[in-house]
Amino acid sequence: MFSRVIRSLTMAERLKHTSNLLRVQRQFSQLRQGSKHGPNFKQYLQLANGEIGSYFHDIPLELNFENSTVRMVVEVPRWSNGKFEISKEIEFNPIVQDVKKGKVRFVNNIFPYHGYIHNYGAIPQTWEDPTREIPGFGSTRGDNDPLDCCEIGSSILQMGDVKDVKILGSLALIDDGELDWKVITIDSKDPLADKLNDLQDVDTHMPGLLAATREWFRDYKIPTGKPPNEFAFNGQYKNAQETINTVQECHEAWKRLISGNILGEKIPKIKRAGEGITLASAEEEQTPIPPEVAVWHYV
Amino acid sequence: MSYTPRQVGAKNTLDYKVFLEKNGKPVSPFHDIPLYADEEKQIFNMVVEIPRWTNGKLEITKEEPLNPIIQDTKKGKLRYVRNCFPHHGYIHNYGAFPQTWEDPNVVHPETKAVGDNDPVDVLEIGETIGYTGQVKQVKVLGIMALLDEGETDWKVIAIDVNDPLAPKLNDVEDVEKYFPGLLRATNEWFRIYKIPDGKPENQFAFSGEAKNKKYALDIVRETHESWKQLIHGKVSDNKGIALTNTTVTDSPTYSATAASEVPAASPQEDAPVDKSIDKWFFISGSA
Repeated sequence: MFSRVIRSLTMAERLKHTSNLLRVQRQFSQLRQGSKHGPNFKQYLQLANGEIGSYFHDIPLELNFENSTVRMVVEVPRWSNGKFEISKEIEFNPIVQDVKKGKVRFVNNIFPYHGYIHNYGAIPQTWEDPTREIPGFGSTRGDNDPLDCCEIGSSILQMGDVKDVKILGSLALIDDGELDWKVITIDSKDPLADKLNDLQDVDTHMPGLLAATREWFRDYKIPTGKPPNEFAFNGQYKNAQETINTVQECHEAWKRLISGNILGEKIPKIKRAGEGITLASAEEEQTPIPPEVAVWHYV
Repeated sequence: MSYTPRQVGAKNTLDYKVFLEKNGKPVSPFHDIPLYADEEKQIFNMVVEIPRWTNGKLEITKEEPLNPIIQDTKKGKLRYVRNCFPHHGYIHNYGAFPQTWEDPNVVHPETKAVGDNDPVDVLEIGETIGYTGQVKQVKVLGIMALLDEGETDWKVIAIDVNDPLAPKLNDVEDVEKYFPGLLRATNEWFRIYKIPDGKPENQFAFSGEAKNKKYALDIVRETHESWKQLIHGKVSDNKGIALTNTTVTDSPTYSATAASEVPAASPQEDAPVDKSIDKWFFISGSA
């Protein structure tokens, strides 16, 4: 009898834990169509009421100046290669794998690294505006994407995870002539998050990571025959406060985008939740990753 | 001649075992697979234990007849190598040469340390990720002498003969030419990989330098001779190694029936790896 009581208490605790998990999950869930690593794969954001939303537009930014936190959508887990990203072309901006000449794209492994070296993703409700010149950047314009985000915590996050992350700094990559900020963040729930407030804390607790991050972004396209990427500010990182300003500016740009007044063939789709549109899940078995994705490139 | 794995249980569990078989008949990867795939051309058989970029410490067991590959345990828990920045898991296809033994009764004259009682470890550097229980044919390129907790633990550097770069790699200097930084990374990896577990840095003999192919081939031959002594019952202390085999007919531990006692294949889907293994450890001053 006694052991039975203990057991039911444990069950009650478990149920409470599960319901807590569900409550967080219930805010946003995901809906998949197609085969992961196939060209037609889509992962949509699903809202609590079941309707389809946009990873780009329907997750509140939640920029918190006091804690330097913001929301992040995870696109690519650390140590994986698939170039998954929030689509600009498909309505409701699902996460898709980038396709080039009909083939899904993978990043190359640049020795000594394996795949992406961060949990990589985007900051919702931000936009790097390609329609305006950016003061201080000459003729360079934004890359037309949400701000990219590198989460450096100890856990491997999953595609579609929505996290509150702490802003630590940023690197201004010039990718094929476009400005492409990489915001460095850590999951606010990570055991180290309280100790990390700015760039120097990253160097203290994760020595070598910022230098590796710069090297990774400089070199990652070399195996495809492209030159090394360049950086603004001589590759110097911007600190947490400057980065918060950048996030704010890109949030203002997003507001202009979502107003519907910016026109252009390549401007991201701005359809968002509100009309109660639902979709049926239609996930198919995963497509195997081609063996050549495992090659290590020495540049 | 081809060897295939016979999996029992799910990867990342205590029940997981990978036996090797040839034409459906179980063999020992320690004693029955010939060291030489082609002695004249100096092509060796290598048994892959751990695929590149994974963490489970899988190894040919010395404790059980026919020496299946199992995951090492400590205090009843599965062992994994920790990720030491910038590396992820093991950085080579890691495995062993069959029919070799690093004799723990003998002090090596140059490393001044006894052998670690294991088959010789092999680091296969080709572009393809191997799988546990794979038997691949490799070329030997060089060797490093790790001193792991006071024992000599040779690490042979080799490449799959079917790798596109294999024809261009003939000695240790070619490794640096075609894989710049890999030898240095290998050295760093083995020095620091136990630091997250609270252990001191490992040391290398020869100031960490990788010896050339000729030196490596001599070590492989020596350890093959040690194994011959072992399997023929001629060593002072065999350390209780399971010596049952199905092919070395003139050895005292040859068994015609051992193969029939190996469980049937019962592969199961991989169990998840504990989330704590995803952590990256930053060891300052390691690079």
